[in-house]
Amino acid sequence: MSDKTNPPEGPEEDEPRVLAAEYALGLLPNDERVAFEARMAEDQALRDEVAAWDATFAELIDDVEEVPPSPQLRKRLEARLFGARRPSIWQQVWPYALGGIAAAVVLWFAATSGVLVTDDEAVRADLVAELAATPDGEGLDLRANVDTTRGAVQILRSAGDPPEGRVFELWLIAGNNAPVSLGLLDGDGDTVIDLPQDLLASLPGAVLAISDEPPGGSPTGAPTGAVRAAGPLTAS
Amino acid sequence: MTPQEEVERLIARVAMGDRAAFTKLYDRTSAKLFGVCLRVLNDRAEAEEVLQEVFVTVWNKADTYRVNGYSPMTWLITITRNRAVDRRRALKRPPEPIDTADLLPDGKPGPEASAVAASDARRITQCLDELPRARAHLVRRAYLDGDSYADLAEATGVNLNTIRTWLRRSLIALRECLSR
Repeated sequence: MSDKTNPPEGPEEDEPRVLAAEYALGLLPNDERVAFEARMAEDQALRDEVAAWDATFAELIDDVEEVPPSPQLRKRLEARLFGARRPSIWQQVWPYALGGIAAAVVLWFAATSGVLVTDDEAVRADLVAELAATPDGEGLDLRANVDTTRGAVQILRSAGDPPEGRVFELWLIAGNNAPVSLGLLDGDGDTVIDLPQDLLASLPGAVLAISDEPPGGSPTGAPTGAVRAAGPLTAS
Repeated sequence: MTPQEEVERLIARVAMGDRAAFTKLYDRTSAKLFGVCLRVLNDRAEAEEVLQEVFVTVWNKADTYRVNGYSPMTWLITITRNRAVDRRRALKRPPEPIDTADLLPDGKPGPEASAVAASDARRITQCLDELPRARAHLVRRAYLDGDSYADLAEATGVNLNTIRTWLRRSLIALRECLSR
């Protein structure tokens, strides 16, 4: 078969189909690809055409030899998605945060310790968070009430204790910022912690998390133990 | 239940956040998808990176593929192949040379290829076999190895516009054959 016997490149009805095939193969130059995607967004038939090419080409994969990936890969993947024994706080907290928490670890810590107050002054909550137990925190039942007028957070713990010789520490994770310690939870019952003034604006949508730490709290200013519970702050 | 149905059922459960189903889906499909990554990237470490990204996407987007009319395996293969090709291009890997003897315009399927074709029920292979062998080879390179037009021009020493014309004609012929 010589070139001359090939169908001519031309009548207009062929054009979108060829573009769809070139698109599926990833062959289109950038400007043409962008233009094609704009067309595709408006045109169901074109999207179907691309899907049909994808399905057709995918049949070629039958010729590709199957190769098992290394067993470690599955572990790395599960650690990344579900949290492993010692995952970073980001990995532990992301399912609880609705916003995107970047995977990048920021290496600075605004270690602003909250002041522990033991008085029982009533907290009028305008932000609340249900702190859902992580797999490491089974049995924990925690709720946070934040009174932004007064600048205080109250943690209500109805069930669950830290492991022997450990304490619970409360962290604030606002957007992509590093976790900021808000203070330690009392040994039992409820805890009220005053919030630094400069953090109040970042509270809505931020995530509160509880980790277990050595007595006296994290020695590094960042969580060192497992995250036991976490949840986003929402308007009450 | 066919393997296709099983994968479909597993993806549906993954969409609901079922970790056990995710693990099962990984066990069923990772060797095939890793083979795809390796074919494109020819580098285990890079291929594993891409495979990991693919499964993260599967976990996060398992509920979206049907909307676009994909079968479950086509969806998995397409994500994997496209990610691997993106990675290969980012790495700027030079293409494997293509023997110009393979590009003789009158290349016909050899007896061996014909025998294979006769027993191969896949429409794509039947239709590729209707193309001159060299043209079919370029299509396979574009899909299976992720060669761009520039890669194919470099690999063959043929002018880029000529390569594109050849490919487009091959795709039109393929389309015609596939719709018969």
